[in-house]
Amino acid sequence: MSVVEKDTGERLLIEAAQRDPTRFAELYEQNFERVYAYIAVRVRNREEAQDLTAEVFHQALAGISRFEWRGAPFVTWLLGIAANILADRWERTSKQPEAQTDELERAGVEDKVEQRAMLFQLVDGLPEDQRHVILRRFVDQRSVREIAQELGRSEGAVKQLQFRALQNLRMRIRSSHE
Amino acid sequence: MNNTAVLDQLDGAITALLAEPDVAMPHFDWNIGDLVAVAAELRLMPSPDFKARLRADLMRQAVTGAIPRNGHFHVWPSELRQLTSGAGASQDVLPTLFGTGYGNYPVHRASFAASFVMHAVAMVLLLSTAVWMVQHRHQFKQESVAVLLEPYVLPASPRQSGGGGGGGDASKLPASRGTLPRSSLQQLAPPTIVVRNAEPKLPTEATIVAPPNLVLSEAQAVGSPMSKLLVPSNGPGFAGGIGSGSGGGIGSGRGPGVGPGTGGGIGGGVFRVGGGVSAPRAVYAPDPEYSEEARKAKFQGTVILWAVIGPDGRAHDIRVSRTLGMGLDQKAIEAVRKWRFEPAMKDGQPVAVQINIEVNFRLY
Repeated sequence: MSVVEKDTGERLLIEAAQRDPTRFAELYEQNFERVYAYIAVRVRNREEAQDLTAEVFHQALAGISRFEWRGAPFVTWLLGIAANILADRWERTSKQPEAQTDELERAGVEDKVEQRAMLFQLVDGLPEDQRHVILRRFVDQRSVREIAQELGRSEGAVKQLQFRALQNLRMRIRSSHE
Repeated sequence: MNNTAVLDQLDGAITALLAEPDVAMPHFDWNIGDLVAVAAELRLMPSPDFKARLRADLMRQAVTGAIPRNGHFHVWPSELRQLTSGAGASQDVLPTLFGTGYGNYPVHRASFAASFVMHAVAMVLLLSTAVWMVQHRHQFKQESVAVLLEPYVLPASPRQSGGGGGGGDASKLPASRGTLPRSSLQQLAPPTIVVRNAEPKLPTEATIVAPPNLVLSEAQAVGSPMSKLLVPSNGPGFAGGIGSGSGGGIGSGRGPGVGPGTGGGIGGGVFRVGGGVSAPRAVYAPDPEYSEEARKAKFQGTVILWAVIGPDGRAHDIRVSRTLGMGLDQKAIEAVRKWRFEPAMKDGQPVAVQINIEVNFRLY
């Protein structure tokens, strides 16, 4: 899909969401991972990142009627809302950000956001047993032994699934860059 | 490095990553270095159902226009953490309850509790009603209403009345021709033509039971006015009187009156309400039972009975005037037979009257 076609499609989606807010779901599906990754890189805490991501999308839906198309991707507007929410949060909690924006930009972390967003999407495409091991290991932070007991398999088998899942993800990331 | 060693090294690195995310990773073998980097990126992966639940929340906001407080509806993240840590199966089972999937919204706790309580109360009421109805099923299923038609249907006419009587002493000849004896509302001795006891110890005037204002002919010989026979005979009837009937009257009927009817009076039949005859009043009227056949068929309707209410207050000669079938006619007759009446009155004396009785069978 060309950039022009993508912009046109996104613009149509935005106009549809402005007429019918239930159409906002399509914009949400397209941009969820990037917004979440943008916030997760900065707060480094899953629960907090989820709360803030939710706040971003709720504010975006509430303000979708005021959105004006100026040629920039819709995610830019969403990330602007996210940046404001993060700034408010830091100001409200009088807490230093876990990673300053300047530092992140200097470190090229913004590029990592794209990569991380893609990685989160790729997990959904893994075979079911590999996906299950990844979710239990990284989201629920279960040990290999606990997962093995849960699945009724040996620890070695679970380690093998974990290895293959990560290999799969690495391979898919590389192929997406080619 | 063999395969098992690679797996162990990778798992050790992941365990360290998860335990202390900010610690710098040591150098790994080229074989797993990239994999550890991927694992490091996965540490902050969102919970698997977070995306779907947020979408559901957004759809609720889109439909209701309600903006959630602090950026999210109250169902998460605390509930979300609980759900993602072990309730995944229940979400699959009841997606509408947990608000997972497109178009499903998480349930408000207060709404859920109120709904649960109301449903529980409704179920308790329903069950208790069902139990009570089962325990009292006979009371419900056999409910029926009986109505005495006569007091409401027949007008109080001054001329309408009826009755009859008959008698005899089993003679081979029919009753002799003659005139009627004096009428009275109370009969002490039945009329006879052939006197069997010429010297009674207590001579009493023979009378018939009929309205006392009846005008009789002046002829002397007592007998049946309907007969043409001149030979003296009391007739082939029985129980005293004259004629082919029974009961101390004259004629072919039953009772102390005259004619083919019953119960006293003159004419064809018993007294009827009106003409100075009051209506009987039911003083004990148990409801009829429903027949099993009609109950199963949920059959309803009305039976009309024809009956004579005697001076004893009981129903006699009960006949079905309008049938209903399914055994209900018999049930109606059985019930009315048990009834007790305050008898009809004629000039202060109880008399037999014919009435119609309507018995309604209704299932409630």
